[in-house]
Amino acid sequence: MMNRDEIHILVVDDEQVIREGSRRILTKEGWKVTIAENGEEGLKFVKNNEFHILLLDLMMPGIGGMEVLKRVRETHPDLLVIVITGYATIENAVEAMKNGAYDFIPKPFTPDQVRIVVRRAIDKINLQREAELLRIESQRSLRDVANEKSRTLTIINYMADGVLVTDDNGNIVLNNPAIIRMLGREEESPLGKHIFDWTGNAELSQMVEKVLNIEGSSSISQELAWENPPKAFFMAHAAPVRNEQGEVLGSVTIFNDVTWFKELDQMKSDFVDMVSHELRSPLGSIRQQISLFLEGMVGEISKEQHQKLNRIQDRIDGLIGMINNLLDLSRIEGGHLVQKKETLAIREIIEGVIELMTPEAKKKNLKFIVSMEPDIFSLHADQQSMETVFTNLLSNAIKYNRNDGSIFINARNLGEFVEIKVADTGVGIAKADLHRIFDKFFRIRTEDTRKVIGSGLGLPLVKTIIEAHLGTIAVESKAKEGTTFIVQLPREIDIPSPDSRILHLLK
Amino acid sequence: MARILVVDDDPDLVESVSVILENKKHEVITAYGGVEGLEKAKREKPDAMILDVMMPDKNGYDVCKELKADPGYQNIPILLLTAVASKISTTTYTHQMGMETEADDYIDKPVEPKELVRLVERLLGNN
Repeated sequence: MMNRDEIHILVVDDEQVIREGSRRILTKEGWKVTIAENGEEGLKFVKNNEFHILLLDLMMPGIGGMEVLKRVRETHPDLLVIVITGYATIENAVEAMKNGAYDFIPKPFTPDQVRIVVRRAIDKINLQREAELLRIESQRSLRDVANEKSRTLTIINYMADGVLVTDDNGNIVLNNPAIIRMLGREEESPLGKHIFDWTGNAELSQMVEKVLNIEGSSSISQELAWENPPKAFFMAHAAPVRNEQGEVLGSVTIFNDVTWFKELDQMKSDFVDMVSHELRSPLGSIRQQISLFLEGMVGEISKEQHQKLNRIQDRIDGLIGMINNLLDLSRIEGGHLVQKKETLAIREIIEGVIELMTPEAKKKNLKFIVSMEPDIFSLHADQQSMETVFTNLLSNAIKYNRNDGSIFINARNLGEFVEIKVADTGVGIAKADLHRIFDKFFRIRTEDTRKVIGSGLGLPLVKTIIEAHLGTIAVESKAKEGTTFIVQLPREIDIPSPDSRILHLLK
Repeated sequence: MARILVVDDDPDLVESVSVILENKKHEVITAYGGVEGLEKAKREKPDAMILDVMMPDKNGYDVCKELKADPGYQNIPILLLTAVASKISTTTYTHQMGMETEADDYIDKPVEPKELVRLVERLLGNN
């Protein structure tokens, strides 16, 4: 809103009474008023000052009002002109309006009439001002949006990680230069192509299909091996893009080149592998020779010697077990163990492992209490790895249990996951140790666990396997009551393979 | 009583397996590598063979394959000495490796004397 004293009005009239009268009326209202007594003077003032409103008499000697109006309209289109017409000559008023006058006021006029007409003009000026401000404002915000967009694009384009954004059908709508470089696909633009058609990677395509199609899905991270030259390994993180209503509009996938880490990791795994084999063979040899004594094949031994040798053999078994776990870990970390994923019935896996562990459990008079949902989802997993997971969990539940205790195994469907709980009635784990139990070589040292032989590699192995299957493992424990491990593994999902999609297109 | 060839690059292991077998009154022939094992198998034509998998000069799978491909020796029963990660994975392992090598049976290292005796007797058809 303009302040009153900002309004500057020019009154051009050859009649002094009207000039002075208008000045008096308008000045009283707080507006700034300048007067001119003929057309020439008026034009000169308009040229040298800034006016908002011009009160212009049409009938003047010299340059007439109509001529002044025309010239002013050309030079100062924003100036609002109110013409003063003698004796209500409506024709003049109409012509003036045609020439761009804003309003007219017939002579003679009352002070109120002048005030009303001028106020209306001022309202018009204010409205124009506001409209102009709004226009500037919206232009500025449009510019901000454009700037923001270009900033975001700049960031995406300069990221070292590859970025692919798809619509809800999996067609690529945005990419950055890094992904093209990473995949060595300079010759073919990804835009508009389906993610499978452009990358040729079924696993990636399935990841994206998952985040697009599974309700409530969040991000998925998976390591992808790229066979096509250049041979490479990528850590891909895919996430759905949603609107405010939570509907999935598309997906965004970030690619992290981990080839170098994989090579380093492979070297490490090869080393661990080699060392483990070199360690395991002599240990096996030692164990076997001790067994000759225990079986009485190299002469009779006393009961006490038998006991000692038994204990030695147990310790060697512990060492061999640790080496085996190390080997498994290095194989899984090298990506060798979890590659043979197939449809698995979790019930059969668990029942098989229980059968295997029953002799161990009997030694401590432990009971297995099993409850599994009848229609439990099947998994898409590596059988050997899953057996390793539950063998380790059950083995712990036996080792760290009290005599005559129980082991509870509970399996149920939970959303898109299968949840398996393994609980014991053992000594429990102190709160301070809980977060460390998945660390390699961490073992809890208490009076209760001192005699238990363990490698400190079982749980890290379990966690690595579960995470390689996109699952999670958590632990809860109460001192003197027991420990519960909660495993969640994604159910097997029937995602149309890229091949069937292509077949569908061909039909 | 049978003549059994024991092949392993670890002399201690060869010896302890020999002790176990000799305890059961079997005659034991020994070899300390894949090449030597293959050669002795052909020369001595043992009643059965206990063959280590991991050997530096020629591994047990290859020795097994060669013997099983030769009509003159394919009837020698072979017990493979394997070093598998854990008990439960033996089934998977057998499945993957056994079909390829056509070995007659498998036993994990380190060997339990009773288990070894049981498997050898079965191999010889004496159970």
